[in-house]
Amino acid sequence: MAQPRLIPCILLKNGLIVRSQGFRIHQIIGNPVSTISRLSNWNVDELILLDISADDIHDRRRDDHGIRYDGSSMLGLLRQIAEVSFMPLTVGGRIRTLDDIRDRLAAGADKVVINSQAVSDPDFISQAAQRFGSQCIVVSIDVLRGSDGRLEVYSERGTKPTGLDPVDWAVEAERRGAGEIFLNSIDRDGAGEGYDLALVRAVTDAVSVPVIACGGVGKYTHFPTAIAEGAADACAAANIFHFYELSYPHAKKACLDAGLAMRDVGLGSRWFPREPVYDKAREDIWIAERVERAHKNLGPKKIATEIPRLSWCKSCVYPSSTATYAEYDEVGECSGCRTDRVKRLIPQAEWDRRLDLLKGILEQARCRDGSRHDCVIGVSGGKDSYFQTHMIKNVLGYNPLLVTYFGNNYTPAGLRNLYRMKEVFNVDHVIIYPSVETLKKLNRLAFTIMGDMNWHAHLGIGTIPMRTAVRHKIPLVIWGEHGEMDLSGQFSMNDFVEWSYRARLEHEGRGFEWNYMVGREGLSAQDMALWQYPTDAEIFETGLRGVYLGNYVYWEANDHSKLMRERYGFEPIDEPFERTYRTTSNLDDMHENGIHDYLKFVKFGYGRCTDHATKDIRAGILSRGQAVDLVRKYDHIKSKDLYRWLDYVGMSEKEFDTIADTFRDPRVWAQIDGTWRKREIWEDGR
Amino acid sequence: MLTVIDTQTCNIQSVCNALKRIGADFEIATERDTVTSADAIILPGVGAIAPAMTALRERGLVDVLTEKASQGLPIFGICLGMQMLAESSTEHGDHDGLGLIPGNVIRLEISGPDCRVPNIGWYDCRPEGNGVLFPASAKNQTFYFVHSYHFACTDPASVAATIDYGGQKIAAAVEHGNVFGVQFHPEKSQDHGLALLDRFVSHVKARN
Repeated sequence: MAQPRLIPCILLKNGLIVRSQGFRIHQIIGNPVSTISRLSNWNVDELILLDISADDIHDRRRDDHGIRYDGSSMLGLLRQIAEVSFMPLTVGGRIRTLDDIRDRLAAGADKVVINSQAVSDPDFISQAAQRFGSQCIVVSIDVLRGSDGRLEVYSERGTKPTGLDPVDWAVEAERRGAGEIFLNSIDRDGAGEGYDLALVRAVTDAVSVPVIACGGVGKYTHFPTAIAEGAADACAAANIFHFYELSYPHAKKACLDAGLAMRDVGLGSRWFPREPVYDKAREDIWIAERVERAHKNLGPKKIATEIPRLSWCKSCVYPSSTATYAEYDEVGECSGCRTDRVKRLIPQAEWDRRLDLLKGILEQARCRDGSRHDCVIGVSGGKDSYFQTHMIKNVLGYNPLLVTYFGNNYTPAGLRNLYRMKEVFNVDHVIIYPSVETLKKLNRLAFTIMGDMNWHAHLGIGTIPMRTAVRHKIPLVIWGEHGEMDLSGQFSMNDFVEWSYRARLEHEGRGFEWNYMVGREGLSAQDMALWQYPTDAEIFETGLRGVYLGNYVYWEANDHSKLMRERYGFEPIDEPFERTYRTTSNLDDMHENGIHDYLKFVKFGYGRCTDHATKDIRAGILSRGQAVDLVRKYDHIKSKDLYRWLDYVGMSEKEFDTIADTFRDPRVWAQIDGTWRKREIWEDGR
Repeated sequence: MLTVIDTQTCNIQSVCNALKRIGADFEIATERDTVTSADAIILPGVGAIAPAMTALRERGLVDVLTEKASQGLPIFGICLGMQMLAESSTEHGDHDGLGLIPGNVIRLEISGPDCRVPNIGWYDCRPEGNGVLFPASAKNQTFYFVHSYHFACTDPASVAATIDYGGQKIAAAVEHGNVFGVQFHPEKSQDHGLALLDRFVSHVKARN
């Protein structure tokens, strides 16, 4: 008998990976190509790729991302995925004709998943099996268990009741030539409560073709139950593989530990490094094209896709062009506001339970022989660093090692805050100071390559704590709040999402790994050593986890900074920022507001003031009208900080402006009479 | 040059992607003329044997493959490509194969509740002897199978590796002089599969 399989299921919507809940809510997770190449390296038994888009328009929105793929359709994406994936690939979604199947097989699929078309025309299964062989026809069955316990098959991505009983339908699908059944539980989707084992068992008892169970996995130990108790041939899940670091190897280990005879855990490939392999010549051309556009003052590249009108969340002040992808519901509210409301409604008893979960994680990581610290906290010396250290050291009583990436960009107040931590918290503190020459090179390079001179800082802050933890064999890193979850609701509060290489590469690094810079401005691999992330094997062996405090402790930045000022002498900025009204954020980086954030405004048409005002609307501190006034006052300001940075890296303002203009999102900006203009939030509704 | 035969009846892209990944130099041949300069041949395949053999015949590739094999060129069949190396196959009727390895391709026999046809999934392969693709050291290696028929070799010595299919030992790999074949898909078997392709490529290089 073939070995039971553990299958990640990746949902794609318009070319990007999404997280799904109840088949209805879809939050964007990130880029499929980098995620899938890493899965291939982990001995993944098979991958199911489901395209749940309503149309075949792939608009990746950002021109500043390092992970790109050619073409803008599912088939183009599939061809690119096939180049980085050496595992069996099963592809579904929007398959209506035999030619759709042919095209997917030709683009690199080994099997296809059919669902709605099979329900509306069962003979389609027979025709597909006859033409392509049963071995490559998987029939997907989406089942909803009603409140009365009755099971019913739904089609059209869970929206259309069919009146079919799942067992009868599975038997008919097999009779018509389905080689496999992919069984999904709609009501368990995204719930994290485990498989509907009664459903799985009922179907596996009725058919002799293999059954893949999916829907409901919330922890690794749920996986083996589908096989051991449900008698399925394969256990699958989607969301969980996006929540935790090395989730597939950990899930595989849970199956092996449960006694299932599966393939081994894989943690890397001899043929395939985890870090992207860049075609330097191709990248050089890509960079040169941008520089040329800048010299000719041409602005951004035109885009082929139709440009949707810029709009704003009805509750906060976020535009539809946010850098962190937000989804909008039918009434026009963004997923950030929705997730935030859920967070604010969490009752105290649940926060108590969450704090207990955190204590459990810390207790597991606690050093028992005095050889190391209990955990690592990456600190910038900001208010969040103070709060994290306050919680871990003084509230919960553990001994953290503080670690700082020093980007050579502190404000005087920020520096005093940083150096004060070892005194007021009585903790050990390691500060890593990269070479200033290297930092200047990285500022210049990243500005031209991705329109963000602070790439080095984001990637460094995301790398140094994990490097330090692995080096000292400390299995836990405590992060603050999850930025994308807080701003745009990327994950749910029940996901307990943790730190991952994927998040580091795609969010912190914007898709550009450290090795992208090697060979540019004379930088060597050794120059980039501090930005090199621990290997998957090192992370797995250390048992390293990076947890976000915001999942376990109620997070309200305004309350935190008040507490930290009163209790630990945390200092606000010496003089107010020109681009936002808050005075207690970003003290660790004098370039962050004036340059990095100004570039965000140039790219996407909004700035840090919009972020701060959005948070303060959600916190009930600002009305939307007050927030709009602040946005109008601050977002567009070109700060004098810019001249300090230009002087630091040796660049002219004209060079800065023309390169920055190439990053303008054409969905936001239009050049009218030589000036870049956009719709404004205060004009919205007129 | 290592030559991959493309009869355009199957998708060879995955095999090409895998060869690229291991850094092999290769070219793709769709017609007889382009095969003549080959110093080793890979014959991939999925689907049924009859249309695949017809496509080979129509392109004049049957003779050239037989001729190259008799000259001692390494020839490597993958999945259906391996089954085509046999003398005959009983898949949907009786069909001639290339006859490069003595034996016949027959349907998998369901001998117990755990046996399924088509047989899809991962199996540990056991080396039989010490061959090029499966040296005796290549133990506990897992490969991805998708098939309904298997190669029953006339000479047990041609069997290079086996799997346990519901208690029956069936051929996972064959090796007969300069002719090689695997029933599974090395291009879909991650590092174990890529390493096996690399062993074949190294074998070809060592010959030259």
